[in-house]
Amino acid sequence: MTELWQGLVRAVELIVALDPEVMEIAGRSLALAATSCGITSLICLPLGSVIHFNSFRGKRFVINLIQTFYSVPTVAIGLFVFVFLSRVGPLGELGLMFTPAAIVLGQILLVTPIILGLTISALSGVDKAVPETAISLGADRVQTAVLTIREARFAILTAVIMGFGRAISEVGLSLMVGGNIKGFTRTITTAISLETSKGDIELSMALGIILISLALVINIALNRLQQR
Amino acid sequence: MYKKPAIFLLSILVPASLLFSIAGCSARGDELLPRKERLRVATTTSLYDTGLWGYLEPMFEEKYGVEVDVLYAGTGIALEYGKRGDVDVITVHSKLQEEAFVAEGYGLERVPFAYNYFLIVGPSNDPAGIKGMSPEDAFRTLQGAGSGAFVSRGDDSGTHGKEKAIWESAGFGYEDIRKAGDWYIEAGRGMGPTLLMASEKQAYTLSDMGTFLAYKGKIDLVPVAEKGSVLLNVYSVIACNPDKNPKVNREMADNMVNFLTSPEIQELLGKYGTRQYGMPLFIPCAGAEPSS
Amino acid sequence: MNLVETINLAQEYDGQPVLKDVNLKIDGGEAFALLGPTGAGKTTLLRLLDLLDVPSSGRVYFDGVDVTRSRPPRLEARRRMSFVQQKPIVFAMSVYDNVACGLRWRHERNEVIRQKVESALELVGMADCRSRNARTLSGGETQRVAIARALVTEPEALFLDEPTANLDPVSTSKVEEVLAQIMREKKMTVVMATHDMSQGQRLASRIGVLVNGEVLQTGSPGEIFCSPGSMEVAELVGIENILPGMVVEKEDNLVTVDVNGSAIQAISDHSVGELVYALIRPEDITLTLTQPISSARNVFGGKITRITAVGPLMRIEVDCGFPLLGVVTKWSAQELGLAAGKKVYASFKATAIHTLNRWG
Repeated sequence: MTELWQGLVRAVELIVALDPEVMEIAGRSLALAATSCGITSLICLPLGSVIHFNSFRGKRFVINLIQTFYSVPTVAIGLFVFVFLSRVGPLGELGLMFTPAAIVLGQILLVTPIILGLTISALSGVDKAVPETAISLGADRVQTAVLTIREARFAILTAVIMGFGRAISEVGLSLMVGGNIKGFTRTITTAISLETSKGDIELSMALGIILISLALVINIALNRLQQR
Repeated sequence: MYKKPAIFLLSILVPASLLFSIAGCSARGDELLPRKERLRVATTTSLYDTGLWGYLEPMFEEKYGVEVDVLYAGTGIALEYGKRGDVDVITVHSKLQEEAFVAEGYGLERVPFAYNYFLIVGPSNDPAGIKGMSPEDAFRTLQGAGSGAFVSRGDDSGTHGKEKAIWESAGFGYEDIRKAGDWYIEAGRGMGPTLLMASEKQAYTLSDMGTFLAYKGKIDLVPVAEKGSVLLNVYSVIACNPDKNPKVNREMADNMVNFLTSPEIQELLGKYGTRQYGMPLFIPCAGAEPSS
Repeated sequence: MNLVETINLAQEYDGQPVLKDVNLKIDGGEAFALLGPTGAGKTTLLRLLDLLDVPSSGRVYFDGVDVTRSRPPRLEARRRMSFVQQKPIVFAMSVYDNVACGLRWRHERNEVIRQKVESALELVGMADCRSRNARTLSGGETQRVAIARALVTEPEALFLDEPTANLDPVSTSKVEEVLAQIMREKKMTVVMATHDMSQGQRLASRIGVLVNGEVLQTGSPGEIFCSPGSMEVAELVGIENILPGMVVEKEDNLVTVDVNGSAIQAISDHSVGELVYALIRPEDITLTLTQPISSARNVFGGKITRITAVGPLMRIEVDCGFPLLGVVTKWSAQELGLAAGKKVYASFKATAIHTLNRWG
């Protein structure tokens, strides 16, 4: 219990003192997750709409495939990206290994199934009467699609929130392709991993508490958004 | 306003997190894509856990105006990174593996720059009764003892390589030892973490002097066997060969080699840790292979 | 010219016929009610007329153009119509935005939109609620918003599917008021589905009776009400005394129908020997305790078999040698001391009876 308490105390100390290193890795965790989710949303919202609004052979299969990847292990994605981005790999020319860009790339792969799959779910959840009403009021296909997306906006926002949660809390990927380089690719989660293995439990707990608090604050903010 | 939720979200999160990053930005700058020249170093864990890299890194960065990315690896992974060209220079301590690395053309030259000694550490009550023995005798006793556990690095690191060498020297096949029983634990982690695990389990382990001293305050283990030529632990720096991987930063890698073997740094190396731990963690050897 | 016309329209679901051989002609500016019980196919027919669905056979014409299948004319025609569903869906936005949807999709200018939306909201009495989230409205309010939304695009034809079926009486009368006003002022063609005969009577100038997917009769409310063309129609319009009999005498247009041994006099075109149904509305039967002195040609004595209360009225079932159903007010029933077993006299005029062909 003392470790828990010490961790809490240390967490408060670090936050209040605006400890630069902690601020830096916290900011990085946020920035990386936000960037990945942002890019993924920009891709997956239209893509999800296209998949949902059109019928094609194998649509069921595609959706099942997407859902299968909801809980793919982060280290598996990490390994995959590592092999691709390594200098000897196909994308080695880009020199992205051990950079934040590599983490963003990996997180995009990680989060795409979730945001894509849940967007499709969200759109499916809209009452069939909505597009019908729109059509009877004279909307064309694009206008009907936009309306359906609007009607599903809360559920779609949830999809993005879930994606963000997964991105900000993953370790395996960041470690493998980011390298946990101090001042460059270290995030809260990789720092926790390192500090714990080095035995600095107090600092790890503090970082953990900070991470959870961040997630809480963001979630509260997004929930207020949803209330509108 | 009924904008698409994703855009709305972005418009809140991105500026918020950029604000965060700027607020906590270290002096060295925070960028998603590297623009400043970078040198990637894969290091054995003992050089990292002792804090040596934390000490030397800023100096090198200041002197040469580059960003140094230090990757915490084990010798095994470090060599792999080197072969793939994912790093520019490696600092490891496994002579045989290093020589093979250079012979196969992945590394330019093996340059020893510091050394210390390995030692076997263990619980103060010494349940296997191996205090004061030679490393080979100690290992033999452990194998037959029935009391006292041993935590191995288990990660193909330099230390792990040394441990294997001692087992061979003591007359055992390594694969047999791996299956020998519950007393033999493969940690699969760096030196510092392995020491912590051994301390937790009150078991024996093989460690380099530097990391042991650096972790002394956190662990409940004492030196048990320290004498033996086999315990010599030589750290080398090897620049990766651009012929194998054109993207390697040859020039800066050479600078690192020169830096580590330069007289000023060698002197600092020799004094590193004295203040904190009472004795230096490393002995400089400027490019020459030390004899034990 | 007919605005909406169907020729031999038929629709199937899962291989089962839902609409059979529907031939309708609806004029521009007409208020037409589609009357039928639940499951008759009213919604199906409306969806075909509003071009939401494609029929399995037959043709639909709008303003003379064949709009049965081809996409471009359908899209064009649909923009000139509006549809209000039975349980309308409002979008998750303000009332104002809901109503403005159709206009925005037609790329109208904002000032024009504002003007049209405001006047539509005024018409349905929802102007005060313009900024409320449409999802928070009550059933009646939702219905009115849906009507406003359908009107604002100034359609030439407005289709409504049972607009008051799910509403309480107060909301129902509000909505009916709105519809009546629309029909008066706007001169648009309105086609309304309903199962309520009296609503059809109140609002429409012409009624089409739909039973089991077939249009059994079309005509003015008066015609349907008083001269139903078949038993199913009669049941639908609330004629509950349907007495099987045979014409035994005829003098000019006054016939005598033998119903179970009793002689009922009616005004009819049927000839002697024909099998008929004699239809009498319960409201046309007068019940008295003693033999009445009246000009009614039909007076029968009988015994009350059952009394049930329905709202403010009492339904009195009498056995006069044949079953008869009359209604009186609760007050009258009390006054007369009506109870099961009591002897009463039922009288009704010959003109109150409508005769229908009977087969077998």
